[in-house]
Amino acid sequence: MAVIAFSTLQSPARRVLSVKTFLPLLAPSIVLTLFFAVPMGMMIGISFQSLDGGAPTLASYSRFVKDGLVLAGLGRTVVMSGLVAVCVTVLAYPLAYYLARSTSRWRTVVLALAIAPELAGVVLRTYGWLIILDDRGFINSALMWVGVIFEPLPLSKNLFGVVVGLTHVILPFGVLSLLTSLQGISPNLERSAQILGASRLAVIRHIVLPLSVPGIISSLLVGFTMAASAYATPALLGGAGFKVMATMVYEQVLFYLDWPFAAVMANVLLILMVGVAFIGSRLESRLNQKLHL
Amino acid sequence: MNRLPAILFKISLAAILAFITLPLLVVIAASVSPTPAVTFRPSDWTLGWYAALWDSRWLDPFLLSVKLAATVSVASGVLGALGAYSVAYAKCPGHTAIMSFLLSPMAVPQIVKGVAIVLFLSSAGFFNLLGTPGLVVAHIVLTLPFVVRMAATAMFNFDKRLDRAARILGARPAQRIRYVLLPLIRSGLFSGMTFAFILSFNNIPISVFLVKPGQTTLPITVINHLEYSLDPVLAAVNVASLLFILGAIILFEKIGGFSAQFHGGSK
Repeated sequence: MAVIAFSTLQSPARRVLSVKTFLPLLAPSIVLTLFFAVPMGMMIGISFQSLDGGAPTLASYSRFVKDGLVLAGLGRTVVMSGLVAVCVTVLAYPLAYYLARSTSRWRTVVLALAIAPELAGVVLRTYGWLIILDDRGFINSALMWVGVIFEPLPLSKNLFGVVVGLTHVILPFGVLSLLTSLQGISPNLERSAQILGASRLAVIRHIVLPLSVPGIISSLLVGFTMAASAYATPALLGGAGFKVMATMVYEQVLFYLDWPFAAVMANVLLILMVGVAFIGSRLESRLNQKLHL
Repeated sequence: MNRLPAILFKISLAAILAFITLPLLVVIAASVSPTPAVTFRPSDWTLGWYAALWDSRWLDPFLLSVKLAATVSVASGVLGALGAYSVAYAKCPGHTAIMSFLLSPMAVPQIVKGVAIVLFLSSAGFFNLLGTPGLVVAHIVLTLPFVVRMAATAMFNFDKRLDRAARILGARPAQRIRYVLLPLIRSGLFSGMTFAFILSFNNIPISVFLVKPGQTTLPITVINHLEYSLDPVLAAVNVASLLFILGAIILFEKIGGFSAQFHGGSK
């Protein structure tokens, strides 16, 4: 009897349940729609606005393509992000490999040192690099005091300073993406290669590196996308001498008040990132398929 | 013959770790250095720069950042838990698509989100929302996806048989959420909220568009000063705010016990 009552009740109860499951979604969806989806749509709309309030136009886009200063900024952004991606991956690899394989008690210390700076925030770390790399900073004043140089070396307000600072900021993310991939490689493969007489270098070269290519790609990807959208580090370590898209967008919005042009720049940055991320993830999944076949 | 690569590997590890820690050590050294030009004489040091922090120039932005981060962390915690409940626990129809929507802000770089929000507020006539209210909503958009993801992971892992057991024993839905679901997803939710707190407290690329005079967060105040000088008081501000973040993490850990999920994992 009870069983029958239960089963006849079930279908209307289910329907009520499925409406009920949507209710909690209401609040987060409203917030994200109102303050994320609508602003994003509006920004795209504004990029087609003409300054005199006429019909939608591609004027701001054609100005972007013809503006030498802005294009140079875009070029600097791409070069800087590429360099940062490579530096992050090269420095993160040994750390991640150690973290994936080590069983020593130092492992926790290394892990803490590798990840903890993330808590410190970008300003603190960029400030540290400013003290080190500035014209009157640590390196330059030490070298001048010793008498090796008489003019300060140009270590900040240029590509070098920004790449050093951003590599430092993004390194923990590179370590994390490589770590996941390296932990997935069975240590037995390395052990058997060594038993068969391969040197350590040969093991790294022929076994670990090829198997960790997906991790390398995701680290490059993280490095590139985070560097391309970074604001504070290029602003402080690059300054007026090294303007990138992020700092130029900021100027457009707050100093020049040219909203359509700012929106175009933001859209270009977005397309660059989404494009790179898309190509990268396609590459990654293709490689993953190949490796696991 | 196999020793050399191992030694080289250790040396390179040490060099990379030195690279990571160097700027932090330099800032700590600068914060106790007596002269404005940063010197590294260990003999004389001072805490004078820390004493100089007790000034509305630094206290006001600090308090604003703390209130902002706390508000954002709680709001994102509540909204994220609600979203994760529908998507990961109740598995509402279309939950994969809705999940992607809830996570979508993560795909957009922070600086672009910042531009979008400031253009939206300015051109839709919400100028008066610039400053603190704008910062709150923008930071919620920034942090909500992370909270949703962490809370959803916790709910995916939740053993539904426990919920069924509670139901069979006669618990009402509210009781099952209060006494069964919430305690078991607590650590996931709290790690999301802690992450939201840190993300909001340290944020620059979004805040930079939304601050206004008198309503400026601490990191923005610091970078505005840094563009002109390397004043050691800024080092003291940075070290103090790092200590604050560490303290906040310990506090969150005491309340929420989120590290339990790292110990209770697969190992």
